[in-house]
Amino acid sequence: MEELLDIAKGPLFRFSFAIMILGLIRVFVLSLINGCEAKKKAKDKSIPKGYVRKMTFGFLFPLRAFRVKPVYAFVSILFHIGLLITPIFLFDHALLFQNSIGISWIDLTLSKQLADWLTILTIITGIILLLIRLSSKTSRFISRNQDYLWPLLLLIPFISGLVCAQFTVEPDVYNIFMLIHILSGCLIFILMPFTKIAHCILLPLSQWITARAWKFPPDAGEKVYIDLGKEGETL
Amino acid sequence: MDRINKAKLILWTILGIACAVAITRFIFGLGVTTNLTDNTPWGFWIGFDVMGGVALAAGGFVIASFNYIFGKKVLHPIARAAILTAFLGYIAVAIGLLFDLGLPWNIWHMIIYWNPHSPLFEVGWCVMLYLAVLTLEFTPVVLEKYPNIKLLSIIHGFLYKIRIPLVILGIMLSTLHQSSLGSLFLAMPYRLHPLWYSPIIPIIFFLSAICLGFMMVMLESMTSSYLYRKEQEINILEKIKKYASYMIIVYLLVRFCDIIIRGAGSFLFNISWGMTLFWIEILLSCIIPLVIFSIPIKKIKISILYFGAFIGVVGVVFNRLNVGGITHLNNLTEIGSFYFPSLMEFSISAGVVSVAMLVFFFFVENFKVWEEMPNINNSIKKSTRFDSFKVYLGTNKIINRTKFSFAFIIAFSLTFSFISGSEIHSSGFEKTPVTKARGADTLIIDGNRDGYGVVFAHENHKKQGFTCGYCHHMNKPDDKATGCYECHDDMYLTGEAFRHEWHSSSNGANINCFECHNKSESKGKNFKFSDKKAIQICKDCHNNIIPSDSRIKILKTYKTLSYTDAMHSLCIKCHENKLKSDALIKQSKPNLAQCSSCHKNFKSYKKVKKLFQDKKNNKWVVIPIFKQIEGNIVQ
Repeated sequence: MEELLDIAKGPLFRFSFAIMILGLIRVFVLSLINGCEAKKKAKDKSIPKGYVRKMTFGFLFPLRAFRVKPVYAFVSILFHIGLLITPIFLFDHALLFQNSIGISWIDLTLSKQLADWLTILTIITGIILLLIRLSSKTSRFISRNQDYLWPLLLLIPFISGLVCAQFTVEPDVYNIFMLIHILSGCLIFILMPFTKIAHCILLPLSQWITARAWKFPPDAGEKVYIDLGKEGETL
Repeated sequence: MDRINKAKLILWTILGIACAVAITRFIFGLGVTTNLTDNTPWGFWIGFDVMGGVALAAGGFVIASFNYIFGKKVLHPIARAAILTAFLGYIAVAIGLLFDLGLPWNIWHMIIYWNPHSPLFEVGWCVMLYLAVLTLEFTPVVLEKYPNIKLLSIIHGFLYKIRIPLVILGIMLSTLHQSSLGSLFLAMPYRLHPLWYSPIIPIIFFLSAICLGFMMVMLESMTSSYLYRKEQEINILEKIKKYASYMIIVYLLVRFCDIIIRGAGSFLFNISWGMTLFWIEILLSCIIPLVIFSIPIKKIKISILYFGAFIGVVGVVFNRLNVGGITHLNNLTEIGSFYFPSLMEFSISAGVVSVAMLVFFFFVENFKVWEEMPNINNSIKKSTRFDSFKVYLGTNKIINRTKFSFAFIIAFSLTFSFISGSEIHSSGFEKTPVTKARGADTLIIDGNRDGYGVVFAHENHKKQGFTCGYCHHMNKPDDKATGCYECHDDMYLTGEAFRHEWHSSSNGANINCFECHNKSESKGKNFKFSDKKAIQICKDCHNNIIPSDSRIKILKTYKTLSYTDAMHSLCIKCHENKLKSDALIKQSKPNLAQCSSCHKNFKSYKKVKKLFQDKKNNKWVVIPIFKQIEGNIVQ
């Protein structure tokens, strides 16, 4: 068990962390290049700056969502706060970074109680978000498989981490939960750049590309048809 | 997927691996990434990247001279490609050299700090100038693409006019540094195996570079024809093949005549590791290519010709590796350590080569390097039916971009994870433990017991009126006048005066952390590491740890100086002060604060036994010279 933990903490962690950082940079650069090429092909070459800014800030500070769906918006914001702050500013994680890479933000860490409460908050809000998605017919209709799986995957390291921190001192149980904690964390790191979680870095770009799509020349759709090999078929 | 894209995918993967290793090399240094030692400081990077790379780029000047100077116009279609290969080859040499230099940021020093006696100085300057010439030779190809911009077309016209002088300059510089890479080894006749060391090694280097240049151009032509699905340039290959065989024969003759005339012929058949390497080298670089090149091109398959050229290139590069490090005597005999390149060294070299190849493909696809541009878009396969399970990645360009970057990051991350933690940290410094000074009233201070000590008149210093505490500035607990070696316990490295482990261990002092460190109440159970300063210091528990008459009043750090530094700073400082304050000493012992006043030949003490003998007590005590002088004056 300890050897497995060593592998997970060492090579596997380094692998997944490198994939995450490079993968996110790659996704960002690729969308930037592709977006620029799309701009070349577009009929209207002006960037709709106002629209992009409005969409991005609307996404970051969902004031409109507060009016339309107040519960959902509030829970979602709480979930994102817990999801980001807890893992980054947890004392043990900062110590891990200090020991393995030498970068340190140990002075900024959360106290243990606050970290535990934030973890519980994240778990609860995550479950609520999943339930909201399941309960609404509209959101069920537009959901893919990964939309259901991601909240569950994100909760695994939180739950196992909480178990390790609070509920067990028995070495075997602790090791098993720690292994689950690290493995699920690594899996999240690896999947991040290739799934919808990439929105953490793509945010303004995705708004820009969406806005750009409306500016293509009128016959652009035909070319998509040709590229897909579906010429002459009706929609 | 087309051939060229497959090749590019592989190159991007290699590049990913090399980038991860490169980060390790530049952060953690040469000791972690290479198998090089002080005994074999030159290895694969010098042998392959620098010496092999310069030789591999010889195609540029060889083809340029045959095309422009000797008027062999048949070679004209490949002249630009050959120059591009040389240009990229030299840039690769410069990049490869940066990895091998201990202080790569000082590479510009040779421009300002001249050392005209060094062959490396000549090589460095030649490579630098030749790179500039190659840049000027290749620039027109890039400028051609923008005929509408007036300034660029003026520059293009000027460069086109001076192309012949440039070619001549290029050939001159190449001749110089191709051979002076060999001259480097003239300086080390006792290092190189007799089969390789020769007074004419510069000429051998130059000849083999010409052979390699021809074979490299053949290889490059055939490879690019294969990758871009062009027709093989049979006419040109036929010509180059002929020139290459002549050159190989000349090289072979010179090599063997040299060995026999030097009298090293007996080593040819004296079975040893060196002999084996020599024959492998000759077989690869000369015999196999010569046999294959002697067959007319129409009778053999192009793949066999390719094999011949490839083996030849490998053989000549192997020659550079042999000269550059493998056949150095400390590597072949049992006196030195055996050197074989590490995987990381291989991957860095492969990465540098793949960058050069990727840039070559970029230029070939975007500029008019060949007579006709390669058509890379003719092979897009459009699936007739839309497959919803297959991810649609877009046009050919976008597919390539996506795939190559994906291969890069996967390779990078895998390598990054496999460079294991233990290898990332170097083995550290070698420790030199210090032992106690010997003697009684006169001490012989020889910390590392290497036989070179300093005689110190302890008793005499005491008589001068120094208290114990002045020099023994810190005592161990319950001790008096603790010896220097107890805290300054390494000859050259700093040490620790405070043993944290012992204080916190239950077998030692068994002290709770919070008896010394700050306990931060507001942060719950978290122990604040940021409060590194302990609230308690040694003095608070150990009363007499710093004597009242000590030189040191306040303890600023627990780090101790190395033994040599501690001794020097104590003695020299005091001697300097003495010289300033005491006029009599300044007159009698003007060298008191200089190295020679302590570091004397030990025998010289014995010769002047008078110095040691105190007549009254019959003890070995040094009598200060000025007292003797005083005595003489009295007498």
